[in-house]
Amino acid sequence: MTAISEAQPAAHAPRRRSVLARLKGNWLQFIMLPVALLWMSPLIWIVLTSLKTKAEVFDPEAGFLPQALNFANYPATLAVAPFGTYLINSIIVTGSILAAQLVTITLAAYAFARLEFPLKRLLFSLFLLQVMFPIYAIFLTNFITLREFGLINTLPAMIVPFVASGYGTFMLRQSFRQVPQELSDAARLDGCGHFGILWHVFLPLVQPTLIAFGIISVVTHWNDYMWPLLVTNSDNVRTLPIGLGLLAKSDSGADWTRLMAGTVIVVSPLLLAFVIFQRRFIDSFMHTGVK
Amino acid sequence: MSLNVARARRNEALLAYAFLFPSLVFLAVFTYWPILRSIWFSLHDVVLGDPEIFWLGAENYLRLLDDGLFWKVFANTALYTLITIPLAILVALLLAVALDSKLRGIGLYRSAFFYPVMIPSVAAGMVWVFLYAPGYGPINEALTFLGLPRLDWLYSSKWALPAIMLMSIWKYSGYFMLILLAALKLVPSDLYEAARLDGVSAPQRLIHITVPLISPTLYFVIVIGLLHSYQIFDYVYVMTQGGPADATNVLTFYIYQNGFQYQDIGYASTLANTLLVFVLGLIGLVSVTLGRRVHYLGER
Repeated sequence: MTAISEAQPAAHAPRRRSVLARLKGNWLQFIMLPVALLWMSPLIWIVLTSLKTKAEVFDPEAGFLPQALNFANYPATLAVAPFGTYLINSIIVTGSILAAQLVTITLAAYAFARLEFPLKRLLFSLFLLQVMFPIYAIFLTNFITLREFGLINTLPAMIVPFVASGYGTFMLRQSFRQVPQELSDAARLDGCGHFGILWHVFLPLVQPTLIAFGIISVVTHWNDYMWPLLVTNSDNVRTLPIGLGLLAKSDSGADWTRLMAGTVIVVSPLLLAFVIFQRRFIDSFMHTGVK
Repeated sequence: MSLNVARARRNEALLAYAFLFPSLVFLAVFTYWPILRSIWFSLHDVVLGDPEIFWLGAENYLRLLDDGLFWKVFANTALYTLITIPLAILVALLLAVALDSKLRGIGLYRSAFFYPVMIPSVAAGMVWVFLYAPGYGPINEALTFLGLPRLDWLYSSKWALPAIMLMSIWKYSGYFMLILLAALKLVPSDLYEAARLDGVSAPQRLIHITVPLISPTLYFVIVIGLLHSYQIFDYVYVMTQGGPADATNVLTFYIYQNGFQYQDIGYASTLANTLLVFVLGLIGLVSVTLGRRVHYLGER
């Protein structure tokens, strides 16, 4: 490489290297900063547009920034559709799915990780089959099933297809398997049954995995558009993303200022949570990738 | 004694089945039953809400082979999946490698690339319709500023699908990046150091050291990516409704059109089965070609 390693006095070597490292760091900054800005630009555009007036958006002479901060779009958007109802529905649907999933995946993962029984492998592959065939691939027949149950246009229609999770079971089983056998043996000697061991030993130890799965589940179902779109058709059961979609259509699709204000309203709860818990959030998310 | 062991074993099996039962009920109703039923529907003439069902045999499948629109839709789906997912993973890999170094403001960078994952697909779709607007959209303004010709984007049958691909790369790369970043953290840094001292250049280190070492994760990301490609339905529904001239019509959307708009459940099921076979085939192909070459470093 360079001549540094050959004739440099030993005392200067570390300093020289740190200068080099700093240069290299800056070189990366010069590339990464514009790329990051490019990635951020849609979000910046959403916020700026939500603060503009309608005329400003279409005026080619108007600048990049809004001429005056105009917050009128926010109440105007909220008046278009019952966003309060949508918000409550979104919370009910997302919360119920998560609660039900945590129960089903904990039980199933424990069975696969710690119990011996006939047909274990076959049953495990059947669970993984669901990962390959999510509802988005078989939505048509699921729609018909729910129609036969008389569940179309109800909140449960958006919840029941997601109660079992092959992905969650798989993630949790991996974590359960890493819990040392001695711990559950000790708990058994103390007189704990399987439920006791599960509750007092396993669940506290796999908290990071539970959080990671919870985040994935909440983000997925809070943002889900396709399934609620197919199974609902009235305001009282609709969720936030559907409300947002309606906004796009109701005003012939060109009222960008209100649309962007609506987008900010729908996006902000998750983004805010993300900014506040950024470290924890990303650590948990990264945790799932390792396994 | 052995009687006790046998009884304990039986009790354990019963407990296991009891633990699996809640999941299995829901999997049976919403995964296995629909797949079987979809196969049965595809062999019949089924109309939504009509109790009369006629046996058709392979007729729906023959119709599929003759359906010119199906082939176009299938080509769009394949094109979207085979271009978007590898490109998004490549971008994610480069971002992950860049962020794996000691860069100042790493938290901000991670957030900047990850936040699109958190935005609902419907919101992302609408925002990009605005960004792509031919008359006043910022992307065309930027093209003009750079002295490049303006494009019709979503209104052009040539550029509409690439426009959705570009948007998808923006949306997914952050997710893949985070998973890859986690894997990179586990690669021992002395390996890089040794290679660097041996005069191996950065791109070569990426190809010959980084990629093989994180290949299990890369493999995982490819499979996750293939499954994420179902989400294109949301973008197509919000941004183009399959247009212009079916340039962005994809299998999930075509199933929706046939099943929900024309109420032809039999044919829509035939299409759905084709989609399942396509995705399963891709995953199988990936596992045969790449899965065998995955290196496991210190695998437990």
